[in-house]
Amino acid sequence: MIGRALKSLILHSASLILLLGAWEAVCRAGMVSPHLLPAPSAIFLRLLVQLADPAFLIHLGQTVLRIAVGLALATAIGVGVGLAASRNRLIGRLLEPLVRVLAPIPKIALYPALILMLGFDHASKIALIVADAVFPILLATYHGARMVEPKLIWSARAAGASERQCTFTIVLPAALPSIYTGLRIALLIACVVVFLAEMISSSDGLGHLLIRAARSFRTLDMFVPLLAVSLLGLALNGLATLAGRRLLRGFAL
Amino acid sequence: MTRWLALPGVPPLLALLALLGLWHLAATFFGYNFFPTPGAVFKTLPALFGEAEAAANIAASVKRMLAGFALALAVAVPLGLMMGRSPLVAKLVKPLVATIYPVPKAALMPIIMLWLGIGDAAKIFVIFIGASLPLLQHSFGGALAVDQKLIWSAQAMGLGPVKRLFAVVLPSALPEVMIGCRVGIIMALIVMVSSEMIARQSGVGNLLFNSADMALYDTVYAMIVVIAAIGFVADVAFEFVRRRLTFWAEIHQDPLVPSA
Repeated sequence: MIGRALKSLILHSASLILLLGAWEAVCRAGMVSPHLLPAPSAIFLRLLVQLADPAFLIHLGQTVLRIAVGLALATAIGVGVGLAASRNRLIGRLLEPLVRVLAPIPKIALYPALILMLGFDHASKIALIVADAVFPILLATYHGARMVEPKLIWSARAAGASERQCTFTIVLPAALPSIYTGLRIALLIACVVVFLAEMISSSDGLGHLLIRAARSFRTLDMFVPLLAVSLLGLALNGLATLAGRRLLRGFAL
Repeated sequence: MTRWLALPGVPPLLALLALLGLWHLAATFFGYNFFPTPGAVFKTLPALFGEAEAAANIAASVKRMLAGFALALAVAVPLGLMMGRSPLVAKLVKPLVATIYPVPKAALMPIIMLWLGIGDAAKIFVIFIGASLPLLQHSFGGALAVDQKLIWSAQAMGLGPVKRLFAVVLPSALPEVMIGCRVGIIMALIVMVSSEMIARQSGVGNLLFNSADMALYDTVYAMIVVIAAIGFVADVAFEFVRRRLTFWAEIHQDPLVPSA
């Protein structure tokens, strides 16, 4: 069974394997300078070495901490506001144009203002993550909650459930699959945004490691944080898939 | 009496005014010099555009953004359509896209600058990658959903594969492609701004941080307003074009959520 899974994995990523192979071959043959493009094997090995280095782990930890806090805040705000907007017509009508105006603005442009207000430390980066990650969660919650079968709500109301009970025992659970989708989009956005913020206001974190390596032209070390943050995003995404399968069993995902 | 409230464009305008009002109240309440009122910020706007250097920076940024987006349009849309019609192409391209997807695109700047130099090419390339992903994804989805009977009829009438792609697949996938365009142009803007903030030589992102460094707080916020305006105008313009080009398709789309 593992053999078959491996075979399908190889079959499904044939082009990726080919590309990595060609990249490795070009580097091994000495056709490009390792200062311009290091071999993929060298990057992987360097990442493994770095993962044993406490200094690297501290930077990784800072990045993960920011993602976790930012996502938690974005989820709380997004789900809360999304539910309120879907249950209350007035809030919904007030919110829709606001979202229309705010959603297409590149949130990263707010970062200098956030630095001015919140300083160079965690707070400004977390605020940026929240600003970027809240929209997919909010919209997913809103649409999920609007799609709830109205008969369910009517019967709950007929059975004497209050408006509040309806929201938390009927609408929220029914909207969970949609919220989950929004959350997964937000997850990757958070990984990307925190990395960019760390690159811009360089103090610590994976993004800072890239900038530090770039300043001293250590090309190999420039690829390592980039690989690390991409793998982090993929790992969190995989974790979310597993958790979703567990928690949302019975929903058609 | 409330009918004018439902006119298109009125609610977003009101939202905008409400946001400006909130901003004004907050700024006057806190009174920090690094948090100016919108009035003070808007006063610096004419000066900003009058200044040759700033105006040239903004124009150069927009030019790079459009160039990267045009490149993405030329490459990603045909590729996405081909993915939708050929399982082999889809199998080859999908793993590559899945690999690039979680990579912070603007973060590639320092590396790509090693290869392409510090000029426009590196920035346009990064914007191209960023804008390509949503275009690819939506073109793929659109082409996948094309009615097979249309393809068969075109085949029976003797249309070659390339002609089929542009005469049959593209028009029927157009509504979905246009949604990809709308997300793609915002992605191009996001990558443009963030890449300029990272590789600070020119452009709006650089202007933004230079003025923050020089404590020109009004200019910082003015630049944010300019960038927000570019995003808003691009979004509205693409929505307008989409409605014009694909008025026959009934697709309801939420305000978009581009991923950085």
